[in-house]
Amino acid sequence: MKIAPIRRTVQILSLAGMVAVPLLNSRGISAVSGSFYSLEIGSLLLTDPLIALQPLLATMSIDATLLDSALIPIGLALVLGRVFCSWVCPQNTLSELFDAVGARLGLTRLWTPGPGPIPRYAVLALILAATLLYGFPLASLLSAPGIISVQTARFIYEGTVGLELALIGTIILAELFLVRRVWCTHLCPVGSMLSLFRFRKTMRVVMAEEGENTCLHCRECAKACQLDLNPMAGNIAPQCHNCGACIDACQEMTGERRPLSFRF
Amino acid sequence: MSKHFLRPPGAVAEADFLGRCIRCGKCALACPYRAIRVAGLLDGLEIMGTPVILARKSPCYLCLKCVPVCPSGALESRVKKREQVRMGTARLNRKECLNWQGTFCRSCYDHCPLFNEAITMDGELRPVVNEKKCVGCGICEHVCPADPAAIIVTPRGAG
Repeated sequence: MKIAPIRRTVQILSLAGMVAVPLLNSRGISAVSGSFYSLEIGSLLLTDPLIALQPLLATMSIDATLLDSALIPIGLALVLGRVFCSWVCPQNTLSELFDAVGARLGLTRLWTPGPGPIPRYAVLALILAATLLYGFPLASLLSAPGIISVQTARFIYEGTVGLELALIGTIILAELFLVRRVWCTHLCPVGSMLSLFRFRKTMRVVMAEEGENTCLHCRECAKACQLDLNPMAGNIAPQCHNCGACIDACQEMTGERRPLSFRF
Repeated sequence: MSKHFLRPPGAVAEADFLGRCIRCGKCALACPYRAIRVAGLLDGLEIMGTPVILARKSPCYLCLKCVPVCPSGALESRVKKREQVRMGTARLNRKECLNWQGTFCRSCYDHCPLFNEAITMDGELRPVVNEKKCVGCGICEHVCPADPAAIIVTPRGAG
């Protein structure tokens, strides 16, 4: 079975939910409320781990409710990897869309980063250090999914949007013309934080041992990856957000014997 | 510090609030009067994304629905009654107030949710703010017929 149709459905439901929540809330129906910073479903509170950590650093005081609310997202990342990024995050959905548009237009980027250490953890560390030093939750201003969801709500409630959306526009332009998918692969602090919650058993894309024979070395998997990762090369886990595009491409070429699959 | 805004009821002191508020916007979603707005970049980088109330446009009606939805403690959940709220204090400008200038008006007095406590009428039927009782909801500022409003809420911690 292909992964893409399921993932697209989840992405569309996520976007629909992002619009439906403020619409329903504004009519007094608030069983589900919140944004991609913090979401409340009934009495269940879910908070982005990066966002939940900020007040602790900024005010040096522990708020157990807030920290506890990050546990389910952390658990999800530990089990399934960064599926929030690839299956839910509206910025990723937008970036994927514009990447497809860019490909259609035949755009070439200014720069292709080679393999090697990536700056994402340095960026995350800088943001957290700034929060600690200045007592100011900087990551909230740099959370693309948070900004998109809050500004959607603001548009529905106030009929206006804020200049915060300039960040989203900048990301899209930079990804179209400078470096392909640079925000998601190299910069986004939300994704960096989520990728810290990973261990031996976390779901990842694996080339099966017994599948060695069936790998055609067609490179379709690498071509399918918007993040320019090569699943044939082995360890792509820190960058890969488990979208499954490579697995679908592999299946296209090798059928049900496909050597690539999600494994725990 | 950039300019001071009125915060939703239950907000902790401003400096602490800026560190504690995660800018999630849930309080704005919970406000049935759409009085809680999300501040933008033009209001200042520090303020951006935080909830603000522009009382003249749309004051707080003290329903307190926003307080329990705050996930980060920036709005203190112990604030359950409107008497506990301390958003700011209404200040009356007697030079602009119709009553103090000789026209009869009781807009602020009549609309104050802490009726006859936070705003009282003196012997000559002129409104007087009782700073100990005033919670700073801004309804008086909203209903004041003078232009600009003769009664304006000063956010807590500002001036």
